[in-house]
Formats: sequence, structure tokens, C-alpha cells
Amino acid sequence: MQVKYTLPILAVTGFLFASYTVVSSNKPIPVAPAIAPPASAPFKSFIAGAGIVEPKGRNIAIGTPLSGIVKTVAVKVGDKVNAGMPLFYLDDRDTHAELTVKLADLAKAKASANEALASLKDTQSLSDLAEAVTDRRAISSEELLRRRNALLINAAKLDSAKALVQQAEAALANTQTTLARLIVQAPIDCEVLQVNIRPGEFAQAGALNTPLLVLGNMDQLHVRVDIDENDAWRFDKNSKAVAFLRGNQHFKTDLILAYVEPYVIPKKSLTGDSTEQVDTRVLQALYSFDRKQLPVYVGQQMDVFIEAKDYPGNNGSPL
Amino acid sequence: MNHIALKMLMGDRGKYLGIVMGLTFASLIMTQQPAIFLGLMSRSYSFISDVGLPDIWVMDAKVQFVDDIKPLQDTELYRVRGISGVDWAMPMYKGLLKARLVDGTFQTCNVVGLDDATLIGGPPVMMEGKLEDLRRSDGIIVDVDGARDKLGKPSPTPGGKRISLKVGDSVELNDHRAIVVGIAKVTRTFQSQSVVYTTYSRAKSYAPKERKLLSFVLVKAKPGQDLAELTRRIRATTGLAAYTRGEFISLTYEYFMHNTGIPINFGISVLLGFIVGAAIAGQTFYNCTLENLRQFGVLKAMGASNWVLLRMILLQAVLVGTIGYGLGVGLTALFGYSMRHSILAFKFPWQLLLFSGAGVSLICVFAALISILKVIRLEPAIVFKG
Repeated sequence: MQVKYTLPILAVTGFLFASYTVVSSNKPIPVAPAIAPPASAPFKSFIAGAGIVEPKGRNIAIGTPLSGIVKTVAVKVGDKVNAGMPLFYLDDRDTHAELTVKLADLAKAKASANEALASLKDTQSLSDLAEAVTDRRAISSEELLRRRNALLINAAKLDSAKALVQQAEAALANTQTTLARLIVQAPIDCEVLQVNIRPGEFAQAGALNTPLLVLGNMDQLHVRVDIDENDAWRFDKNSKAVAFLRGNQHFKTDLILAYVEPYVIPKKSLTGDSTEQVDTRVLQALYSFDRKQLPVYVGQQMDVFIEAKDYPGNNGSPL
Repeated sequence: MNHIALKMLMGDRGKYLGIVMGLTFASLIMTQQPAIFLGLMSRSYSFISDVGLPDIWVMDAKVQFVDDIKPLQDTELYRVRGISGVDWAMPMYKGLLKARLVDGTFQTCNVVGLDDATLIGGPPVMMEGKLEDLRRSDGIIVDVDGARDKLGKPSPTPGGKRISLKVGDSVELNDHRAIVVGIAKVTRTFQSQSVVYTTYSRAKSYAPKERKLLSFVLVKAKPGQDLAELTRRIRATTGLAAYTRGEFISLTYEYFMHNTGIPINFGISVLLGFIVGAAIAGQTFYNCTLENLRQFGVLKAMGASNWVLLRMILLQAVLVGTIGYGLGVGLTALFGYSMRHSILAFKFPWQLLLFSGAGVSLICVFAALISILKVIRLEPAIVFKG
């Protein structure tokens, strides 16, 4: 009797448990939602590109004409500076010392000139005396010749001394220019975006990977958009464009084309490899936008969509 | 008549149990082995099915399956984004990187880089922390199995259990510092490597320096857009391969089907289960019928038609078949349930219930058929012989 009922009951239980396992173990996997809703283009067909915000007239990477230790930095990030305002000072002690030497040189040259002038006057008066003698027998012709030559020699010495004064003055001016070059000034009216040097650091002259200071004109911002060369033929200067801020698609702005850089440049993919190869090039278009619409910073990336012609079906495939 | 049929069947308890055992065994093998096989195969594409949001995966045209990464240039992302019908397109990095643990050992992990802004393609279930925490500097999210086992810290006592990674712990990924900001639950993958999620740009800095690092472009179609049409358009315009999620899953699945011995191995197991089950159950059932041949003869002599006898045998077959099947699938489910926290791959879809049901039915039909032939050919006179 037991076997008669136990087995069917066990079988039914087993089947029910299997059905339960089937139902419970095959629940769909939950879908991880997007943290920020992705930007999607408001156009039917369009070119998508990455844009980077930059000041109008691009960023100015300030360099120094002379290498040296930085003495003081006169500006801080965010300062508005006018053209000609000093940005930072390089160590000028040795140049000041040189200036003192040059000043002494000038004084010495001037003294020598005065001495030469005095000698000239002395020989002039001696010569004048000899020339004033009317009776030529009273003075030997040798003496007369000697006095005349002494006058000529001293005149030449005075010229030479004056030239030395001029040279010393020029050397002084040179040192003063060097001194002026140790103060780096703002080239235009703009804002300080980045300060990468601090007093005591060595500022290297020449083109640097990290500029000493970055300046930019923040009155008007531009978005620099990279367009893949494969899409460049679809780009139309008169078509509409929209930019979305990364991380929040609600911040968007219409773009107005400022200009297109006519030279297609290699795309920078920063892998840091020294033997980096470039095999794609990008057309860069610059757009201006209303700064008040977006809380945007210079250097920030934006997703840009530019309305464009559609690909002409399958036949238009480049491959 | 039915009562007599049941009496005949259960009269010999040993034989009855033998038949049921045989069928249970056959049903168990035919359910459990395919379940393990399906579990194993589903792991091959679990990474794809875990990423639920995008409709279409775009990759290099020569990609054969999900772990066969052939990276693209970063600009391809924008080309795909510029195709009409695309709502959005996001980059994804997937690659194997070496992680150096606190005790100096190395572990290969599957690093997944998600789009920095939207973090699309993240793990389905977060157990600790939030997906947004990936925005923190050097942040990574580790899958719970990896955190417990492979990436865990060594036990303080030798031979003990490893200490699980916690939020705030640091790991060295390819000589870069990485901080665990969350623990996620993901479906195990085929190779069972621990999965590390991070942002796309951070993954690029962790990855060895290569020119191309973009593994996949994840695409969401505009609402109402025909997916087949869109994949065709993406293929035509970019020259890349574009698959819908289902297509990519079957591509990966097919690769494992054709390039590994797994389907043959499990196929042989299932076939053996079927043959052994059929042999035991069929033979015992036939024996049972032979033993009761005299009774059948009496019934026949009393005027029972062949049809009635056939129904009796069928009833017996259906009964033992149902019991064996129920016990078999029940045991399979119990096996799966007891192994649910282990590394074992086990997947039990409803189709499998039908499959093993069909298998058991086939065995029963086979067993019943030989018995029926015997009974129909039976001469009633046999009762009075011997």
C-alpha cells in the first residue's frame, strides 16, 4: 500500500519542484540602467563628433624667452590681466650684478674720455703756442712737428675714448634689455587659466609639453569639433548643430559655426606610445555658443551633432 | 480492468520498483546532463545577456565570439553615432588584464570599461556600493565571486579561506592603483575569470599601450526602428560587423558548439542515459508482462478484446513512465538546487522538461510496444498448457 501511493506522490512532488525550479531559475536578468541618460541627436541624419570647449583665439601657452629660476609669480588662476602686465619674474641677481659692472665700465670709459679730452687740450695749447711763434728760427722744425703730431694723436685718442663710452653704453642697454626680458608679460588682455610654475622652479625656455602658464580670452567660447575624414564630405557649413554637455543631456545648446579649419589634421589618440601611428585624420570645425546657456568650463568635452546628408544607401559604402 | 492492470503491475513490488528506478535514472540523466550542458553554454554568452540596455553590438567584422576581441579605432564610435536610426552609441572596452594582489600573486581578470558619462553596460545587480561610484578616482567594481575567491586576500592561517575583497580595498591592475568602490553580482562566464568594471578612459589607461582599444560599440536603436534594417545599414556604412543581442549570442553559442567538444561529450552522456534507461526499464517491463502472460491469456479467453489488453499495458506504461519522469526531474531540480551556490553550471529551462518527457515517453512506448506485440500474438489456449 505504501509503495502504491508513496511513489506517485513523490513523483508529483518531484515534478512540481522541477516546475518551480524552471520558473524561479529562469527569471530575466535585471537591466542595469544608464546613470545619465545618453544624448541623442535631434536630427534624422547627422554627423556625430566629439567637441572640446576652448576660448576664442585658443589657449595661449605662455613661454619664457630666457630659462631661469622663477622668483615670483605675479598672477594666480582666474586673474584677468591686461596686455603688458607682468606675469612672473625670473631670478635677476646675476643680471643686476652684471648691470653694476656695466655701469662701472661706462663710468670708467667716460673718465677715460675726459682724460683724453684733457690731454687733447694740453697738446692743443702746446701746439697753439708753437704755431703762434712767428719767427721760425726760435723753434726747431722737429719740435714743431712733434707738437703737431701730438695734437693729432690725442684727437684720435679722444675719438677712441668716445667710441669706448658708446660701447659701454650699448653693453649697459643690452643688460637692461636682458633684465626686462626676465619679466614675462601678458601679450593680450585675457584671463589666466592655468599656472604651472611656482617660485623657485626652473622655467625652461622653448616649447614645453606642460606650458608654464595658460592664458585665454574667456569672453567668447568656442567648441572645436572633430569630424572623421570619412564623414567630412557630408559636412555642410550651413547646417544646424547642437551640443550636449557630457553627463547631463538636459544641458544643450545650439551652435553657430565660427569657422572651419581648412587643413585636416591627424587625430590625436593619446596612447602615450612613442611610436604612435596616425591613421585617421579629422576635420575641425569651430562653433560659438551662448555661454549663459551652459555651465561649461574650458577644456570640457561635449557631444556634438551636426545635421547632414544621409549616406546614399548601401552603394555609398566606402568598403 | 484498470484495477487489474495496476494489480498486475504492482503485484511484484521488486519488479515495479525496478521499472520505476530505471525510468527515474533515465529521466535524471536526460535532464541533468543537458541542464549542465545548457548551463555551460549559457555561460559562453552570459556577458552579452548581462548587458541589457543596448539593442545592437558593433565590432570588427572578423570577431568570432564575445571573448575574441579585435579592437577598433576610437573614431568608429562617432561614425556609428552618425548613422540615422541610431538613438545612441556608447564605447565599451573588454580585455584581459593582470591584477596583482596584496600577497604578490597575479590573477587575470576580465576588465570592462564603460562609457564615462553614462556608464552604460554596467553589472545587472549591485550588492555593495552604487554604479555611480565608478566616477570616483581609481574606482573599480568587482564581481562578488571574484572578490570572494580569486581576487581575495590570502587567509591569515595557511590553507584557510581567502578573505573577501571589500569596498575601499586596493588592487594593482597592470601597475596602476585601483580602488574597489562596489561589489556586483554578474552571471558567471565560461572561463570564470573575475570581472572588473571601470570607466572607459580608466580602462584605457590600465590596458597595455595599444593604438586601438575600442572593443565594442553598444548601440540603441531609435524607437520604432527595425533592428535588422539598422544592423544592415551599420554594416554597409562602416564596414564593421553589427549584430543584435540575439544574433551575437547565437554567434558566440555557435562558435562554442562547433569549436569545442562540449556538445559531443554531453550528447554521448544523454544518449547513454537513454540507452541504459531503455534497456533496464524496457527489459523489466517486458519481464513483468511475460510473468503476467497467463493472466492476460485468461482475460483473452474470457472474451477481452485485444484493444482492452492494449489499453491495460498502455496504462501500466504511462503510470511507470509518469512516476519515473516525475522522480527524475524532481531529483534533477534537487541537484540543481543543492548546487546553486557552487561553481557548477546548471540551467533548467522549460524546454528541458519537454525534452526529457519526450525521452521517457519514447522509452515507455518502446517497452510497451514489445509487450503489446507479445500479448496480441498470445493464444488464449496457453493458459491451459503446462
